[in-house]
Amino acid sequence: MPSVHYYCPCLSTSPVPPPPDLESSSYSFHELHTLYFCTEPECMAIRCNRCVSVEVNGYYCPNCLFEVPSASVRAEKNRYGACARNCFQCPSCRNTLVIVASDPPEGSLSASVAAVGITGEPPYFLYCNFCRWDSTEVGITFEKATGLAGQLQKTEETAPDVVEFERLKEHFEPFLRAAPSGGIAHAHSNPITSAASSALSRDISIPGLSKYSALLAGRRGGRNDREKAGTTSKDKEELAEFRSRWETGAGASVAEGEVDWIKHLEDVGEVATIEQRWVGSWTTSMRERDLKPLRIPLHSKKTKRCPQCRHIIIKPEQKSQSVRYKMKLTASNFVPAIAISVPPPVASTKAVDPNAPVTFHAGRTYPFRLAFTNPMYEPTTVTLQVQRAPLLKGRPPFAVSLPSPPFAIAAYAEAWEYEDEDEDMADEDIDALLAGVGSPSGYTQPREVAKPKKPKTVGVLERKANTTVIGGELVIGKEGRGDAKFNLLVTHTYQAEDTAAQEGETEEKSTKTPTSRQAEVKTFSFYIVIDLGVIIPREKEESHRRDSEQMSIS
Amino acid sequence: MPPLRDKFTIHSKAVVCQDVELKGDITIGSGTVIHPKATLFAIAGPIVIGANCIVEEGAVIVNRRREVMRIGDDNLFEIGCRVECPSIGNSNTVGTRARVHHTLRLSHYCTISAGCLIVPSSDETLDPYTVVYAGENGLCDRRIWSGKGKMQEADLRRKHAEYLRDMLPKFNRLRRGEGA
Repeated sequence: MPSVHYYCPCLSTSPVPPPPDLESSSYSFHELHTLYFCTEPECMAIRCNRCVSVEVNGYYCPNCLFEVPSASVRAEKNRYGACARNCFQCPSCRNTLVIVASDPPEGSLSASVAAVGITGEPPYFLYCNFCRWDSTEVGITFEKATGLAGQLQKTEETAPDVVEFERLKEHFEPFLRAAPSGGIAHAHSNPITSAASSALSRDISIPGLSKYSALLAGRRGGRNDREKAGTTSKDKEELAEFRSRWETGAGASVAEGEVDWIKHLEDVGEVATIEQRWVGSWTTSMRERDLKPLRIPLHSKKTKRCPQCRHIIIKPEQKSQSVRYKMKLTASNFVPAIAISVPPPVASTKAVDPNAPVTFHAGRTYPFRLAFTNPMYEPTTVTLQVQRAPLLKGRPPFAVSLPSPPFAIAAYAEAWEYEDEDEDMADEDIDALLAGVGSPSGYTQPREVAKPKKPKTVGVLERKANTTVIGGELVIGKEGRGDAKFNLLVTHTYQAEDTAAQEGETEEKSTKTPTSRQAEVKTFSFYIVIDLGVIIPREKEESHRRDSEQMSIS
Repeated sequence: MPPLRDKFTIHSKAVVCQDVELKGDITIGSGTVIHPKATLFAIAGPIVIGANCIVEEGAVIVNRRREVMRIGDDNLFEIGCRVECPSIGNSNTVGTRARVHHTLRLSHYCTISAGCLIVPSSDETLDPYTVVYAGENGLCDRRIWSGKGKMQEADLRRKHAEYLRDMLPKFNRLRRGEGA
């Protein structure tokens, strides 16, 4: 499938993207819907998930939607940052468990079957509605139906993994307290990594995270040491060696008991699957009936900031029930969406698989179409410029011709503003449309290369609402091979009616009331990479043909 | 195959809606509720349903075999399920859009979770309290239920049937057996 990806310049210092035939270039290109846009006048740039700095806005339980205050996540050392109320997951199938009461004792069975309305009685236990796992299988019952996590904590506190985790936290605590002020940040001059590490250290006392960030920081400190040989690092001194209470090889002795069990195993269902045991942080039993109910981990809502100017790009609403955003500056609201299509050859009689990669034959010319959709309320003018890839050797495998003069895209309008739009469609548009339809006839003729281009293959093919379709042409050289992939500089110029309204643009469009009518011409350029498909080289094509001929003979 | 002869025997306390497709020799026991748009299809042998079962909308129960298809008491067939088991015990649940092939027999207190497809290649009987559910890898996993809480569930099932017996006749025409 042909694709269009947008360039985020965060990985390099130059605003020009790397040539698309480099393998590593794909890390700099992203899909439009994953990108953000910083609207600050000094930035005005596309930002990607890799470069924005992320901070936690709030924690909540995905099951009961209870918002856990950040302070309590830090202070109470919530176990693994899990819901501290009544939320548990089934260890067998990952469904949410419910707390239910036990049946009345068996003795009263005959009496109560007749009576309608059996009420359960304590003890309570956790029960999965889906696979009917219940916590009595592992001997967990509750006296009350509330505050389950608290009741369970007593038994959990003595578990070896919890004890070990507590000790780890204790061990790293003095180091972590010192870390944000000293050490980590100054080693990195790159603002992106320093922003990331400062974001890490800000929430460093989340138990689940602190373990990793501390390890990371420790390792960094170590590397620093080796680099500047001779100078002793403060970080290193503070971090004494941690000795585990549990020897790493000791798991073998546990496993030995299980060998016997497995030898006498009759039903494979008694062995817990990898998926079921995967979440356990410690060596767990292999038996399915030993699986314990799992806490539901908290989720977090995250705020994203521009790495340059520190302005907020994404800010979700605080309430966990809400899926709305207070601030949402996505690139799709500011840069035109570009869709590519390669019309299939008309001559082919075979049914075309839509998922099959598009292939091109060397020495031919192919038309393709780019549809630009303007998301803004202002009409915009777009100029395209193909980036010439630096030539390593020989002739370029292909050339791309796109219309060089700027073309316009109409402003975005709500659906009800399009009355009678179809009727006053300009004649030239219809002409363009017809030309666009007719053009692929040149597809089957290899002689096309030598001829001058047909007038209407390249240019504006169609204008409809806020979408303009541009025709381009791919001319593949005789020795062409590899991917038909190229970078394209897109410059769009628009008249911003009111910059103030733009800045404060949130989800509500009501803020778009232009107060001052001072028109300001704005220009924004960005790079995209267009992947059209694969070029089939000449020799391979010939072998192909020979193969197919042989096939038809036999 | 001899042509189908329709013969419906419906207990006077059963609630069978008019808009139910019945074909062949079918016997429906006391207190059983059959929702509209359900299908009971006795192709070869007869179907006998016990007491206090619930058959929901779109459920299809088919007997492909010559012998009698016996369905016990207190079974629940949820919306859109398809059951071809030659015999079904008591207090089983077949979930929404689950499909059970005619090579499988259900004993008692079995649960087939929503969307599960069970097609054993040879004849098989599910042990009591077996739960078949869609596991993480998309396959049907099985486990044995401890049976804890079955009395409360039976009570709930009874209330469910009782409510339906009250409410369905208010909004649907009922089908009566030939004797009535």
